[in-house]
Formats: sequence, structure tokens, C-alpha cells
Amino acid sequence: MTADALARDVRLYVFQEAAATGYVPQAPQISAALGRTEADVRSALQELAAGRVLILAPHTSTIWAANPFCAVASGFRVSAAGRRYSAICIWDALGIPAALAADGVVTATCGDCGDAMTLDVAGGRLTDGDGVVHFALPPTRWWDNIGFT
Amino acid sequence: MLLFRDEEHVRRWCAARELTPGAIVGVDQVHRLAHAWYKDKLRPDWRRQTVDETEALFASIGLTGAFWNLRA
Repeated sequence: MTADALARDVRLYVFQEAAATGYVPQAPQISAALGRTEADVRSALQELAAGRVLILAPHTSTIWAANPFCAVASGFRVSAAGRRYSAICIWDALGIPAALAADGVVTATCGDCGDAMTLDVAGGRLTDGDGVVHFALPPTRWWDNIGFT
Repeated sequence: MLLFRDEEHVRRWCAARELTPGAIVGVDQVHRLAHAWYKDKLRPDWRRQTVDETEALFASIGLTGAFWNLRA
């Protein structure tokens, strides 16, 4: 199997598992599921991160986000398809129902005052909820520091 | 990208951090962006959008102007 083929298999497994369970798998689980060494899997994860398919925690091969799914609990929570998910930002939170082709409820807090905010998505449309989103950086700089972005 | 109650909350958040506000976009626009961006992410044949495709997507939901210029 070529490196590109392994990266494709890793991508499909990671995203499908995250969608099906709400949990983003890490290298040991991916390795066991695909029958490949952890070293091979970690190399594939580095390749996927270089291609901006997913985001690794700094200086590791631990997945931080298989966007739109976040691997750790966050302030952006989504209920959809009978499961709970986390996202790294409001864009990704709104992307989870889209990725799942499901209706969903996004819960978050105002970045300034901390008040709870709820957004309902149904049939591919935002059906309830309002507010604004702040893009601190232009798109050409999003990947300078994706954590800040 | 953070969610805020309204523009006043964005400006207060930026002022507290001595940041110049970037782009402030309605949540409905961001939902349309997110829907288009992620609707195919689980498909086996998914690929990253090209610059041309991303520009067209931005324009289709009203994200235009220097801030959204991908070729700067």
C-alpha cells in the first residue's frame, strides 16, 4: 500500500469513526482498526495535517481536530443524530450537522459576556438562533496560528 | 471563530484585548459557509476546495472585499 493510499484509509476511518461515535480516534485505535503499525499511522496523520485535512496538537501526532469534529471537549457543543460532538469554533460547530446530513442543535456562549446561545439547524438551514461571528484574521492568515483562528 | 450576541459584544471583546476587529459576519452567513464547506467531508472522494472554488463560495454568501481576498 502506498503512503497516499494509507493516508486515504486513515482519513476515512478517522472521520467516519468521529461521525459515528462523537469521539475522534487516535493513533493506537486507528492502528488496531486498520492493521497498520502506529508508526505508519502517525506518518499518515502528519501527511493529512500537512494537507490541512485535520489538525494535530502542536509537535505531536495526536489529533486535535478532524474538522469539523474536535477531539477534546470544547465550548462549542453539538447535538445531532442522537450523539454529542465538540467543535473548535462556531464555523465547525455549524459544520457538524452538515457533515452528518442531520439536524442539530449547537450550544455555545457569547465570546464576550459568556451568555448561553443556541442555534438550531434543520433541513440544512439555520432555523432558530441569531448572533454574529468574528473572524479575527483574514483567510490568508488562518493557518498562521490555527488555534488562535 | 467565536460567536457573539451582536457587534457591540465583538467590539468590546476586541477592545479588551487591544485587537482591531476583523470581519463580523451574521451567523446565518456562517451557517451557509459551514454547510457548503463540510457537507462532503465524510465522502470517500472528498478533497480540499481549490482557491477558485473557495473564492466562489465566499462570493456566493456575500463574503467579498479585501478581507476575503485569497490572493493577497
